[in-house]
Amino acid sequence: MLTRVSKAIQGMAFFLILLSGIPASAAPDAVAGKDKAQLCAACHGEKGVATIPGMPHLAAQPQLSIFYQLVQFRDQRRKGGGMEAIASTLSEQDMRDIAAHYAAQPAPAPQAGGDAAKIVRGQQIAQQQYCSSCHGAQLQGQKHVPRLSGQSTEYFVAQLRNLRSGARADMDGTMASAARSLTDEEIEAMAVYARSLP
Amino acid sequence: MKLQRSNRTLQNAMLTLSMAFSSFAMAQAPAAPPAAAIPPTWAQGRTAEQAALNLVPHPPGITALPAGDIPTDKLKVPAGFKVELWATGMPNARSMTQSPKGTLFVGTRFPGNVYAVVEKDGKREVKTIAKGLHRPNGVVFKDGALYVAELSRIIRYDNIEANLDNPPAPVVVFDALPKDEPHGWKFMKLSPDGNYLYFQIGTPANIVVQPVTHATIVRLNLKTNILETVAHGVRNSVGMDFHPVTKELWFTNNARDWVNDDLPNDTLHRVTRKGMNFGYPFCHQGDLLDPEFGKGRSCDEFDKPVLKIGPHVAALGMRFYTGKQFPAEYTNNIFIAEHGSWNRTKKSGFEVVRVVLDNKGNVTKKEVFVSGWLQGDDFWGRPADVHVMKDGSMLVSDAVAGAIFRISHSK
Repeated sequence: MLTRVSKAIQGMAFFLILLSGIPASAAPDAVAGKDKAQLCAACHGEKGVATIPGMPHLAAQPQLSIFYQLVQFRDQRRKGGGMEAIASTLSEQDMRDIAAHYAAQPAPAPQAGGDAAKIVRGQQIAQQQYCSSCHGAQLQGQKHVPRLSGQSTEYFVAQLRNLRSGARADMDGTMASAARSLTDEEIEAMAVYARSLP
Repeated sequence: MKLQRSNRTLQNAMLTLSMAFSSFAMAQAPAAPPAAAIPPTWAQGRTAEQAALNLVPHPPGITALPAGDIPTDKLKVPAGFKVELWATGMPNARSMTQSPKGTLFVGTRFPGNVYAVVEKDGKREVKTIAKGLHRPNGVVFKDGALYVAELSRIIRYDNIEANLDNPPAPVVVFDALPKDEPHGWKFMKLSPDGNYLYFQIGTPANIVVQPVTHATIVRLNLKTNILETVAHGVRNSVGMDFHPVTKELWFTNNARDWVNDDLPNDTLHRVTRKGMNFGYPFCHQGDLLDPEFGKGRSCDEFDKPVLKIGPHVAALGMRFYTGKQFPAEYTNNIFIAEHGSWNRTKKSGFEVVRVVLDNKGNVTKKEVFVSGWLQGDDFWGRPADVHVMKDGSMLVSDAVAGAIFRISHSK
């Protein structure tokens, strides 16, 4: 048991080293990204907190998750919000830099004062659905998997519905299979829960 | 017959009724927690302790590193061999096949692209010949046509080499295949007689009692369009080849995830007769009963692998070395691309290994052939497939760097 625990600690350490030391071929440059993100700010906000309802917050998203979505928009494997056209004008270095800029911004303020019963219900469903397996314990995202905490509820609901219907294709089928059985009410509860998380 | 049927209908009705009752009862019991959904495939079979390790699958390769950023000099090969960067700019480059004229075709899993690499006027050129396919991982060339295995169908591009810049719409060859995403992408290989396409139908989860259609290697008879099962109990094979002398099918298998850091091993298998069963989900690596599904079973019920390759290494593409360029002792050796582990606290794999057989087909040696994708605990690329060129050199595809390396030998 003891060796197992120490192995677990070792494993954690390895994981942390990995997170801190991913060798990027062309290192993402958040400062350059700030300039390049001027076009994005109109909808997503200068610091990645959108003021237009339904627009996703990008602040504190994992750098890789923003980059992956931009690549998918560019390749027309994800569509919406005119993002395909915008992404097609960006180089991959632009995408990495913009992603780094938003990843470095403070997370959107949580809205914990919402419907308490809905938050509890959302948390319960999120647990049943194993959301934290990929999105992290606080739904903060990791690697290429997006942050859900603090996200716009309108955006959250629209994306899960699109994943459920197949209108939005996911990377490997995991989200389509997770969303398949969800009702509108369950999706909304999870959105309210996610929005309440710091 | 009729009686039996109505009997069964009655049974079904009763089953439905009792299910309805039990769900009604559950709804009435306030203390009972709602039934949990199914975890994502990769998280299945994980213990609470393992969950605390925060080990998750690596991000899929969806872009290609710029040629200048690929650290080819980090790749190490035995003395006398040389590695060079052969082609770049192919996001998620995976399975490879080559036409007699020399065009190399490359399948992918994530971007949905198929690439062709051609030599023109002494220059190598990469063309994207198909986009938007659904996990077009398997590629086979036969009679001027490129066969592509998508997740749930086999398609064919006729007279492809004359139309690389404007490929024809594909012909659907066979589409009666399962649509499960987990382990649904296919490795595909043409039989030596050219009559069959061999590919796998992977298990639709990490560890589960699969439907009889799944966890198999099958072959499609190209003359009759009939699908036959070749082997059972194969969790997911993403690499196969035929022995150049005996013509027997050999394949790699990806064992289940988790259990622990050192178990179970991915394995190498030899098919000596049709209908062999290699044990999944009950027995892994020929001698390890599954902690959950192995209860009451014995590994003696099943056929054994010829080699334990390594735990969680993700043994993918494999080929027999049939070229003349490498030293004589490499003739008919097996090369295996290890994609690299994710559910292991210390990473393993991320190499190409060489397996030596004696003339009876017994494994006498396994050693590292190409390494260097893993630097410390970080990796910059992941080998996915190997391919022997006509000149006897070997290509290795890299699904994260989006590139292909060439390994050659000079005396």
